[in-house]
Amino acid sequence: MFPFIKSLVGGVTGICRAHAHPGPLQNHLKLLAAGLKTYEVPPDYSDVILPEKPKLKFMNKVPNLKKAKKERKRLWDIQGPARTANTFTTGKYAIVAMGGGYLHWGHLEMIRLTVNRKMDSQTTFARWRVNSPYKPITRKGLGQRMGGGKGAIDHYAVPVRYGRLIVEVGGKVELAEVEPILTEVAKKLPFPAKVMSRESLAALQKEQAEREENNQNPWTFKEIIQGNMLGIRKVLSPVDLHTNGRFTGKFILPRRV
Amino acid sequence: MASTLCVKLLPKQGWLPLTQIVRHGSKAVTRHKKPMHFLKQKLMAVTEYIPPARPIPPGVYSPRTEDCKEENPFLLFLKKEVQKVFQECKMIAVVQNNACKSEDMIILKHRLFKHGITVKLFPNQVMLSFLKDTEYSNMAPLFIGPNLLIVSKEAKAKELLTTLRATPQITLLGACIDGTLLSVQGVMSYAKLPSHTVVQGELVSGLTMLTSRTASMLQHHPNRLSALLQQHVKQEATSDGHKEGAASAEEAT
Repeated sequence: MFPFIKSLVGGVTGICRAHAHPGPLQNHLKLLAAGLKTYEVPPDYSDVILPEKPKLKFMNKVPNLKKAKKERKRLWDIQGPARTANTFTTGKYAIVAMGGGYLHWGHLEMIRLTVNRKMDSQTTFARWRVNSPYKPITRKGLGQRMGGGKGAIDHYAVPVRYGRLIVEVGGKVELAEVEPILTEVAKKLPFPAKVMSRESLAALQKEQAEREENNQNPWTFKEIIQGNMLGIRKVLSPVDLHTNGRFTGKFILPRRV
Repeated sequence: MASTLCVKLLPKQGWLPLTQIVRHGSKAVTRHKKPMHFLKQKLMAVTEYIPPARPIPPGVYSPRTEDCKEENPFLLFLKKEVQKVFQECKMIAVVQNNACKSEDMIILKHRLFKHGITVKLFPNQVMLSFLKDTEYSNMAPLFIGPNLLIVSKEAKAKELLTTLRATPQITLLGACIDGTLLSVQGVMSYAKLPSHTVVQGELVSGLTMLTSRTASMLQHHPNRLSALLQQHVKQEATSDGHKEGAASAEEAT
């Protein structure tokens, strides 16, 4: 029994030895058999200039005003498409608002802390595309009876419209590196938001423009509302004149032109 | 009176207005979508986006023969083989193979081989690409579906037909015999023809008969004339003999 096992083990080691010490020719052959790998050319970051302070700045919770004044609700500043900060400046990737809403100081702190903590400040920089909270929101105190005029200013907020960039990220990074950080942040915002690169945002805008151009429907919202056909303006809002029925309030109606 | 006036002029203590003013319209709620006016709903339905008709993707309606790749060396080799077959063989029959079992196929091949006929199989792609440039281009419509070639160096239509009659899975579509494209009916009528030597003999006999007939026709009149003259001479001779006999009888009387 034992000699049999011994012979088996000896045979196995013999085989191993035969494989472990091949001739010089076999060595070369093995190298050739492995094949060559072609690596992708790494992206060129020679034109990227990192700013001195790459991190997001702290934002004031309350604007520095001499006299705080109560304002009306001004709901139109979250309605319709954004007219400012809807294109990229220095960065490459951004969180883009896909609907209107208000950002509080807490949201801004959350964005700032998460992005600053998780991004690599040696290669990446981040920039705010929203101002610090400036719109006063009034509330009546808890347990207070109704009446007695407008309540006191409770907090300040930043109104954001559809298509506005919130935070811009750039530097020597690819999208795959910063996307998890930005998506984590974008999920927590009080409006639908998406992470977009320069290319994807341009593609979105181009697709919309193409849809408007190639629409086969002879009846367009714009012509009908401008011509006030059948007195339809009676039931439409003046905002519809500018948005052409693409928005209802802060919401965008998808797949419309 | 005074009391009644007072009652009319003074408002009642527990009076409630019959119509209350309810505010509609401007609501500061932005959490949900505002319900749309019915007319606006109609307008939105009318002015919906209609996409343009989808363009036909390229290559959908292009003919299938374009897929044949000439660069493939195996196809080129097969094409040469086909060319060889067409050069060597006098009879090339195209048959359709309707799920013939391999056993039956072996039997058929064996039976055909007895008469020196072989069965060949080429892809239709190769056949069509070969036929396109040659004088056999009219055979191209035969090559659709599972096809076989039955070829022989001599035109043996009769043997072919008798062998194919035993296997109903194999259908004859057409044949090219001695450089002539024949349909199934054509092949059958070709098979009924007698053999080459017999036809040649018939032809030769027919030709000789014609010449002999003309010769006989030409010789008919002189022959007849000579016969008549001979008869006339004979008659003359006999009448002279009678006359002489009569004269001698008269002289005797």
